[in-house]
Amino acid sequence: MDDLRRSRLTVFFRPLLCIPHLIWIYLWGAVVGIVFILNWLVALIIGRPAKPFQRFNAAFLRYTTTVLSFLFLIANPFPGFTGEPGSYPIELEVPTTPEKQNRLKTFFRLFLVYPALAVAGALLYVTYFVTFLAWWAAMITGRMPRGFRDLGANAIRYIEQGYAFALLVTGSYPCASPYVGMALGMPVVAATPAAMEAPPAAVEAPAAAEQPAAPEAPEAPSET
Amino acid sequence: MTKSSRRLLGLLIFGALAGVWFYLASLLWRTSVPGNLKLPKVDMSALVGAGELHQAQHFTLISDLFALCGLFLPIIVLAVYAKYGHRFISESAAGPIGTGMLLAMLGLAIVWISMAVPGLAQLWWYRKHGIVSTGYVSWIFGSWLGLIPVFEQICLTILIVMGFARLLRDRWWLAAVPVFVGVLTLFVFITPYEIPLQQIYGHPQLKAAEGRIAKREGVAKIPMRVENVGTMTSAPNAFTTGLGPSRRVVLWDTILDGRFSESQLEVVVAHELGHQKHNHLWKDIGWYGLFVLPIAFFIARWTRRRGGMAVPLAVPLFLFLWFALQTAITPLNNAYSRRLEAEADWTALQATNDPQAAKSLFVNFVSTTSEDPNPPAWDVMLFGTHPSEEQRIAMVEAWQAQNGG
Repeated sequence: MDDLRRSRLTVFFRPLLCIPHLIWIYLWGAVVGIVFILNWLVALIIGRPAKPFQRFNAAFLRYTTTVLSFLFLIANPFPGFTGEPGSYPIELEVPTTPEKQNRLKTFFRLFLVYPALAVAGALLYVTYFVTFLAWWAAMITGRMPRGFRDLGANAIRYIEQGYAFALLVTGSYPCASPYVGMALGMPVVAATPAAMEAPPAAVEAPAAAEQPAAPEAPEAPSET
Repeated sequence: MTKSSRRLLGLLIFGALAGVWFYLASLLWRTSVPGNLKLPKVDMSALVGAGELHQAQHFTLISDLFALCGLFLPIIVLAVYAKYGHRFISESAAGPIGTGMLLAMLGLAIVWISMAVPGLAQLWWYRKHGIVSTGYVSWIFGSWLGLIPVFEQICLTILIVMGFARLLRDRWWLAAVPVFVGVLTLFVFITPYEIPLQQIYGHPQLKAAEGRIAKREGVAKIPMRVENVGTMTSAPNAFTTGLGPSRRVVLWDTILDGRFSESQLEVVVAHELGHQKHNHLWKDIGWYGLFVLPIAFFIARWTRRRGGMAVPLAVPLFLFLWFALQTAITPLNNAYSRRLEAEADWTALQATNDPQAAKSLFVNFVSTTSEDPNPPAWDVMLFGTHPSEEQRIAMVEAWQAQNGG
């Protein structure tokens, strides 16, 4: 659960505290690159990714979500190294069982994902800027401004959706709208009404406190 | 087997291991400098001038105060952290090893904060004497970024220690020590590839002399490179690093800026090649291995009351003990280092056969570094990794006396 409280000590050294994680992402990411090629071939042949590869890539995406959340001050605790589900306040919800995927989309996956990754890159720059502002705010007040936190969480959600699509974890294209999975017109922190379809890979937040009816709230970060 | 005979057997094994340890330490302690060498008294004021000598003594005294701060303040801070650091466990959602890494990094981060004021004061002092030209803001930012390799190292250390502790419990040190030594060896090997080194332009006489000196010392020709530090400091320096094919002799650009003559530079290069001739880097690794073994053993015993190194609760105490024990053996490490440096000096004298150049080089070091050529005993004990300039000049004179110079 994220109460928006931030430890000034860990905020001050936040990029440096990420060093072991960045090294681990680099090493794990190298293996993910090899797995992607194998998984791509498997998906082309049998029409869906291999289950072990799916679990491996899903864990990697969950892990990078926690690291990005920590780095960008979106969450407070130091994340673990395994990408285990349920271990972090901000979490990516990804399918762990492979779904059937269109072979043509699979064949051209890297070309198809390119526009989404370009948007993700732009969002990353926005997040850098917001984190810079949030860093000062957190150092002064000891709290993360909610708007900054939610903007960052939405950016990470899109970025991870992009990578989930690229790595064949899902066949659904990333959706940039922060309102997908929420009632339209509601603020970003609102919880997801069950009627709305959740995006295939979404940053999950703790259950919302401000919205009374909040069944299954996997998308938007919200405060309790 | 009765309890007393088990104890006796344990004592015998411990005694035998201690004997082996001392024997190995004595092997590493030996150097080729003649044991009967009598160092004459040197009148430094006659060589560098009374005014400059007084200035150097004053500069060193104040520098030492900052250095003392740098040596003992971290220990005090880590002692406090050992008591209260476990509170930061709540800042972690990681498993035991990840949480251990976080606690270790935060401990060193707090040390960095505590060192900021003494560090800035030291910078002011060095800037005042023209030793460094780094600005205050760039120093703060640079030293903050300097935590990157520190955090990398401590995380690796925690990974090794806690990883083995989770497998072997209190016997983690048996497996961790060889890994520490292996990691150090790897780091020494790759260091020349990590430092931005350049080819030396100009100095044809020095380049020719390097091959000649290497041949005379009986070492393979080792590439000589320059490291550009002139924008940050004016202090002259040279060092040798690497193992096997990665070996390099590195000169700072500040030593090639014209303040040192070609014959003085030849002595510098001969000194560095002397380190390679006597395998000093390998000996350093061996020395580290000898000392890290008992340190790890004692830490394993003393962290038991915090649940052992398998749990993050023990990490703040580990951090304190790790640094405190290493600080405790600093005088011994420095004494060992001074012996190796003296051996490299001696080898340089044999190879260059130019005592005048060596003598003028050491006098020049006093002028260019502003350091006391004959610091007090406590200074030598705590910070003296090299013989003092007075001792080095005395060795040159002893060499001359021995070789009829």
